[in-house]
Amino acid sequence: MEIPTHSFCNACYKAYAPNDSFCNSCGYPLQGTPQQQDFFISERTVKEIDLSSMNEAVRKAGNSLFWIAGLTALSFLFILATVAEEDRSSILIANTFLVVAFLALGFLSRSKPTAALISGLSLYLIIHILNAIDNPLTIFSGIIFKVIIIGYLIKGIKAVLDADKLKKELNID
Amino acid sequence: MDQENLSFKLCQSCQQEIPLSNKFCTNCGQSQVIIDGQFHEKKWLNLQQVGLFFLVEILCCASVFLVKEHTLSFLYFIDGVMAISAVIFFGYSWAENKVILKWPSFSLQKLAGLIIATILASIVVTFLVDHLNRDILNKELSYYSIFEFHKYGTYLMFASMALYPAIFEELAYRGYLMQKLLTVVDEKEAIYISSILFFIIHFSFLSIFWLLPFALFLGYLRIKTKTIWYGVFVHFFFNLTACFLDLFPLEDLYKMIF
Repeated sequence: MEIPTHSFCNACYKAYAPNDSFCNSCGYPLQGTPQQQDFFISERTVKEIDLSSMNEAVRKAGNSLFWIAGLTALSFLFILATVAEEDRSSILIANTFLVVAFLALGFLSRSKPTAALISGLSLYLIIHILNAIDNPLTIFSGIIFKVIIIGYLIKGIKAVLDADKLKKELNID
Repeated sequence: MDQENLSFKLCQSCQQEIPLSNKFCTNCGQSQVIIDGQFHEKKWLNLQQVGLFFLVEILCCASVFLVKEHTLSFLYFIDGVMAISAVIFFGYSWAENKVILKWPSFSLQKLAGLIIATILASIVVTFLVDHLNRDILNKELSYYSIFEFHKYGTYLMFASMALYPAIFEELAYRGYLMQKLLTVVDEKEAIYISSILFFIIHFSFLSIFWLLPFALFLGYLRIKTKTIWYGVFVHFFFNLTACFLDLFPLEDLYKMIF
């Protein structure tokens, strides 16, 4: 059965039938008063702004994975200068692995944000717990930076979940 | 007439007939997509629970590095704590989790095939790992060294290297963790996350080439078969073969036969 289409919705620009009271894909009050229509549009805009700020949080969290990769590489160069010759190869292997892992997770965060952010956060925490066991003083080196990164990652994970919910409400796939 | 009826549904709030594809009622504007606010709240709560569980796992595994002397009793204490935590977390959401303890469509053929494939894969992996450790890191890795002073060393080794991880790691990662993650993300991402967490908890970066695929396979098996038991058997035989080869290295077996 074909629905004859005459016009397009003001809010989501999808086609609707002439006798519809509400848009079938966004719920816009097609036959409502201008007040109702304005109210609907403003409500929808608020949600859209929320959604874009959540996507921004997810993007930032993904970026912090790249930051971790960069800083690991940087700190590795400092460590390399101080350690003994025979330890260098194992430190090289471990650090190369970590840099590659965080880079890979950073790229993964663009397509599968939940998986990448949860894995990245766990890996980051594990590294610092192991470092702290080896030398408790490492907790305090760059602690502000660590807290910021962990904060971004946790916020990112929460934002993915909230964005999913909003997308459903706004009917965006 | 019947066909036409199929493409219509009743609006949840005004009971008007509307096309099935509609996301909103064209008559009253009510959303037809059920958004369960509580369900979404629960997602974040579930993730926090997963976080707590994983933190316990990390601390247990990391505490091994805190002590200098690795005694058997300390090892068993840590194993015990991890086993109890796995059971507690699993049992806490017993109603959701109990389904995966069932074994629907049990197939002996499938199980036997999996076990044979596992043993072969384990032999290859053990061979590669041995060479990797010897050639790159210049160290001999032996699981048995910590057990050899005990009267029943071999049995203890099989119990704690093969039987224990097969049951409790599967219960924890493919059981509890996977069930919780499935409430938050889709199946594919749940497999990825549980596998990556399983891999990093082993603290062994070099093992990425076999541990991660192994975990992905176990996760895939768990999703496909909807039971943890295939995973338990695969995990058990994989570790069992590795233990066996540790006691009787491939080179010795080779010499014995030829």
